[in-house]
Amino acid sequence: MAEGSNDAELLKEKANTYFKEKDYDNAIKYYTEALELNPSNAIYYSNRSLAYLRTECYGYALADATKALEIDKNYIKGYYRRATSNMALGKFKAALKDYETVVRVRPNDKDARMKYQECNKIVKQKAFERAIASDEIKKSVVDSLDIENMTIEDDYVGPKLDDGNVTLTFMKELMDWFKDQKKIHRKCAYQMFCQHENKLISKCSSSQSNKITICGDTHGQYYDLLNIFTLNGLPSETNPYLFNGDFVDRGSFSVEVILTLFGFKLLYPDNFHLLRGNHETDNMNQMYGFEGEVKAKYTAQMFQLFSEVFQWLPLAQCINNKVLVMHGGLFSEDGVTLEDIRKIDRNRQPPDSGPMCDLLWSDPQPQVQSISKRGVSCQFGPDVTERFLEQNNLDYIIRSHEVKTEGYEVTHSGKCITVFSAPNYCDQMGNKGAYIHLRGSDLKPEFHQFTAVPHPNVKPMAYANTLMQLGMM
Amino acid sequence: MASRPAFTDSDTADEAVRATCDDATVCKRFATSKGYWRDLYIQYFARSVGERKAPEISRGYYARVKGVNNLLDAFIRKTECDCQVINLGAGLDTTFWRLKEENLLPRKYFEVDFPTVVARKIHNIKTKPPLSKPIIETHSTDSLLLDAHSLDSDRYCIIGADLRDISSLDEKLKKFQLNTELPTVFVSECVLVYMTPTHSSNLVCWASDTFHTAMFINYEQVNMSDRFGQVMIENLQHRHCTLAGVEVCQSLDSQKDRYLKTGWEHADALDMMTVYSMLPQEDVERIERLEFLDEKELLQQLLQHYSICWATKDKLNLGLVHLAF
Repeated sequence: MAEGSNDAELLKEKANTYFKEKDYDNAIKYYTEALELNPSNAIYYSNRSLAYLRTECYGYALADATKALEIDKNYIKGYYRRATSNMALGKFKAALKDYETVVRVRPNDKDARMKYQECNKIVKQKAFERAIASDEIKKSVVDSLDIENMTIEDDYVGPKLDDGNVTLTFMKELMDWFKDQKKIHRKCAYQMFCQHENKLISKCSSSQSNKITICGDTHGQYYDLLNIFTLNGLPSETNPYLFNGDFVDRGSFSVEVILTLFGFKLLYPDNFHLLRGNHETDNMNQMYGFEGEVKAKYTAQMFQLFSEVFQWLPLAQCINNKVLVMHGGLFSEDGVTLEDIRKIDRNRQPPDSGPMCDLLWSDPQPQVQSISKRGVSCQFGPDVTERFLEQNNLDYIIRSHEVKTEGYEVTHSGKCITVFSAPNYCDQMGNKGAYIHLRGSDLKPEFHQFTAVPHPNVKPMAYANTLMQLGMM
Repeated sequence: MASRPAFTDSDTADEAVRATCDDATVCKRFATSKGYWRDLYIQYFARSVGERKAPEISRGYYARVKGVNNLLDAFIRKTECDCQVINLGAGLDTTFWRLKEENLLPRKYFEVDFPTVVARKIHNIKTKPPLSKPIIETHSTDSLLLDAHSLDSDRYCIIGADLRDISSLDEKLKKFQLNTELPTVFVSECVLVYMTPTHSSNLVCWASDTFHTAMFINYEQVNMSDRFGQVMIENLQHRHCTLAGVEVCQSLDSQKDRYLKTGWEHADALDMMTVYSMLPQEDVERIERLEFLDEKELLQQLLQHYSICWATKDKLNLGLVHLAF
């Protein structure tokens, strides 16, 4: 053993030499070899972490620093390294915690104190920026639009609002226009935004209906949305709809989907409902294509508008006081009431945990509660569903959020229903889509399935989508 | 041999297959830029990072690269580098340069692909010093043997050939000092599936006939009879990409059978879902933190429809049958 650790020390010395010569790749190589001989040496991890920092592999640096601390939680340099890695990754709050530790243990260390203060400044600065930024966005985008003075060019022959209002004629023209892959004038879009936002702010999260059709995720699959309207009729006062979130991302016609849905909301505000999904958020839109699509088809400002309006979308809807609809699901904690849901301050991006997050993100599971497979929110078992329904005097919940082969799934003994309305999801899954008919008289769900229809082969521009990605090749 | 299809048809199909080399390259370029794995050479084959790829695609490629490398490196180590590697349908793969960097070079590394793909690769090698230097460094004389569709050096050789024309392939490889006595590992990634079962069977049979101690690592589709598989086939059809060999991709068993029936002693196969779970989980956790995946089902379906199959024959009794995950 002694020989082994001696060899490891030699390798470490070699690595240190390379490090001094700024040959970080070789330094890493030899620290790694040292670790192979002696894997429980915190110093080797810490040194390699520093070498990784120099080569900008911050993720690896963080991992090594963490490992060093796992081995020896009193190794002060480890905290330093971890803090530096976190700083580089922009995780300032995490870095601050580690600097605090160092300062506490070494109160006379000037360098530590200085780093702590710098980090603290950054954390405070960022918090301040966030605070003023959210105010700015709240006021500036919709309110700053000068729609009246926007002109529509003479050569635009697309649909226009009728004296600033959405009409059925406008909607029919809109849908055909989109079907031919044309764009509406941004003034029309802006007009719709402003009206829509006002509608949403004066929310009403419950409805009394004779009948209603509930659809799940549509994910930018515009031609499948048109198909739903063909199969089930256009929305109207006598043909109400509820779309349960995830209207955008992944599919490449998200803009067409969302503007169509917004249009119908304006046309039939009491009979057409939209709930927020986890994809009506900035993080998701940035990664899964919607932001890119909006920027490509319109402007970055238009995306800011979407972002703002999405924040006003309601999180849940209660139908005839008996059926609760939300995109994700129920909660990681017991005792949440409908009143609690109403009180959520939803005009924001969802937090990492808590009821607002759960409503958008959670999934049902067959057995009793556990942590989420997704890494966000939780999975709730039949016991949670049972207790929630009982406490709130409800019959069952309808949610979406998960692709299902048959387009829908009934679980928790009929108390938790999933409905998903994006058939052949991502052009790959081959699943059916479904929608639910509910009659006010008995509230028994009636399932209707449908399959995917063809759509134009749009090459993704700046936006991510798996349309043309056919797997591994 | 089957009768030749009409000239235009087969050419369109071949062209579509050649184009898959670009798919793989751009996906790997994106994934490496995000930090899924390290590949310092791919940038010389795909200059800019390009469009964002969905996270499940990057994770799928991660599993593929790590899975194949796992077996390949194990073979090289087992033979203490006293072996050959033959990468069939190599495309713009960068493994040679990785092995050089990691001091795991076999005695000779061969790559074979369609002549037009090879010509492209040779052009890149010639014009980018980070690619040419390692080849020149490992070559004993000052000049490399170079023409439009082949490049030969002591340790690296790339040949333009049609994998369906076995006698020509055999001739070309032997011309460049292929040593049939050396333990040899074949690698093919999404290659056999593009040729008919007869053609691929001839290929793996030739490999088995030619080498007494060898391994064949094959990555491609599997479990293709279900809905997801059908949709994949249809999507590829739209791109003129015919999975001529999809019959062999029915199941893990059919993948193994193709080897057991052509003189290979032993064959194993795993779907990529299983491989993913057998990769070092610390690193898997690291890559899962790189990009958030919104719908895990997409990754699962993808991984369940790809497999790694590896076959061995071991006259020298090196213990090749023990190489696994």
